Amino acid sequence: MSVATVILGSSLFIVFLITLLGAFSGRLQSKDLEGWLVHSRRMGSFLVWFLLGSEIYTAFTFEGLAGYAYKNGAAAFYNVALNDVAYAVGFFVLPTIWLIGRRFRYVTQSDFIAGRYQSKTLGIFVAFTSAIIMIAYIDLNITGLSAVIQVIGNGAISDLWSDVIGFLILALAVFLGGIRGNALQATVKDMLMFISIGVLFVVIPIHYFGSFGIMYSQFVQKIPSYFVLPGVSKHLGVAWLITTVILNGIGQWMWPQWFGVAFTAKSPRTLKLQAVFMPFYQLVKVGVITIGFAAVLILGTSKQINGNNVVMMLATKTFPAWFVVLFTVAAMLSAIIPAGPIIMTSSGLLARNVLQALRPSMGEETVYWVTRLLVFPLTIIALILTLVVPSLIVSILLVAYDFISQFFPAVVIGGLFWRRATKEGVFAGLITGWLVTAYLVLTNHDPIGGWNAGFVALLANLAVFVVVSLLTKPVPRTHLNEFYMGAFPQESRHAMGNVAQQAGD
Amino acid sequence: MKRVIAMWLVTVVLIVFLYVGMTALCMNHVKPTVLGMPLLYFWFVLVPLLSPLILGALYLYDLRHNPQLEYDQQEKG
Repeated sequence: MSVATVILGSSLFIVFLITLLGAFSGRLQSKDLEGWLVHSRRMGSFLVWFLLGSEIYTAFTFEGLAGYAYKNGAAAFYNVALNDVAYAVGFFVLPTIWLIGRRFRYVTQSDFIAGRYQSKTLGIFVAFTSAIIMIAYIDLNITGLSAVIQVIGNGAISDLWSDVIGFLILALAVFLGGIRGNALQATVKDMLMFISIGVLFVVIPIHYFGSFGIMYSQFVQKIPSYFVLPGVSKHLGVAWLITTVILNGIGQWMWPQWFGVAFTAKSPRTLKLQAVFMPFYQLVKVGVITIGFAAVLILGTSKQINGNNVVMMLATKTFPAWFVVLFTVAAMLSAIIPAGPIIMTSSGLLARNVLQALRPSMGEETVYWVTRLLVFPLTIIALILTLVVPSLIVSILLVAYDFISQFFPAVVIGGLFWRRATKEGVFAGLITGWLVTAYLVLTNHDPIGGWNAGFVALLANLAVFVVVSLLTKPVPRTHLNEFYMGAFPQESRHAMGNVAQQAGD
Repeated sequence: MKRVIAMWLVTVVLIVFLYVGMTALCMNHVKPTVLGMPLLYFWFVLVPLLSPLILGALYLYDLRHNPQLEYDQQEKG
């Protein structure tokens, strides 16, 4: 039996055990749809921190980011900045949405949109389109999983089989466990990921260069173009960094699964505390990017090297087999665990916000079971998409963000602050944003004039959203006052007082 | 509530500025090195350490002035 087989077999066995652990704990917890999707809004700071971290820090962080630094140099820093901007944005946005969500018992982003704009049709539209975009995001994690098995197995296991095995585990874990199961698995995954990246970050400079100081010195002397923008990337300059960080920073919370995680917290304070402590995770990203830079000097820059594989290549080249097992488990979990809530949220959106909205006679119990059963077809669709349209991890993430960020005007600007926003404005803005994004991406105009294509599309979306909203009938003020009562209590009470006074006059 | 929202917006702008504004203005260089690190690299090591401090200050301000918390307690009560 070869070493590669032992490593792969041991890793798969450990991943299977961790999955069973999550599934078992999930069976004890999830009894209804609200419990399954948002854990009845009872998660404390510790679990939410791990859950958010686990979903945000995925195969992209573990493998793709090092690969991006390896290929594009300093442009990879966009990913350090975007999350911190997102935490700052989320500091106020998530707790405010949580307050509204608890008042009206919302469990999905689509519930929130339908409630704010008083439009069931808009809710269905948002649920369906976001579910589609989320399936595309799962590709990223399948690709990450394939990269692990590709390097460890030396090509002995085909991409097809590695994808199928990973997703069978994933689909079963999500079906049996719900989000609680994933939170426990997330804890294990994050610990393994911290240990693995920490060890790699410390050992690589000492083993290959002698010290951090010598490594940094070689960075400056041998590959200076990797430490400026656009530098080695040639086309990803400062304007691209600014527009990408802003677009992705405001777009992060538009992913329905992260929006859903906000509902799992037990209080708004829990979410605010997350915003304070989540930036510490960013140091992990800096470590991964450093490994990517070091890989340029250690592995060279041959075109035959797939950027996604450099972390695993360094791990297998540097460490003994037992550590490679630990590393492989962490890498696999980083691909599998984050995909769980994405599939679960997708299925919840389709069952609850599309099927039940179209057929209101469906009972809650039926919706609960349809949600669980949809996990399998959605997983299979994602698997097929991955096999039919294979892509680089980074390309998938950036394009997915271009599309999902188009929800920002509807969810945050109109959803929380601008009461004149209308459902017609949201429809028109979203369609404009997606069409512009699709056109620019498909015609290879990303970046355009140095700007991120999704950001340009967002500006078009925003302009159409505002103009069409101003030209169409607003949502009644009485509804909005009631809707915002939990989030903006003073303003809503004041506005309700004015309405009552006008009625009295 | 307006003060809380204003402080939050200032914080968002500050963090965006630290990352991309400072990079555009003066950090997009390899030299001078800081602790041996290329300048841009050093900046992206430093700012993630500053962010929790900035957000922590916002948290303390928010804790004192945000009426949402009071309303939330009333709802629970």
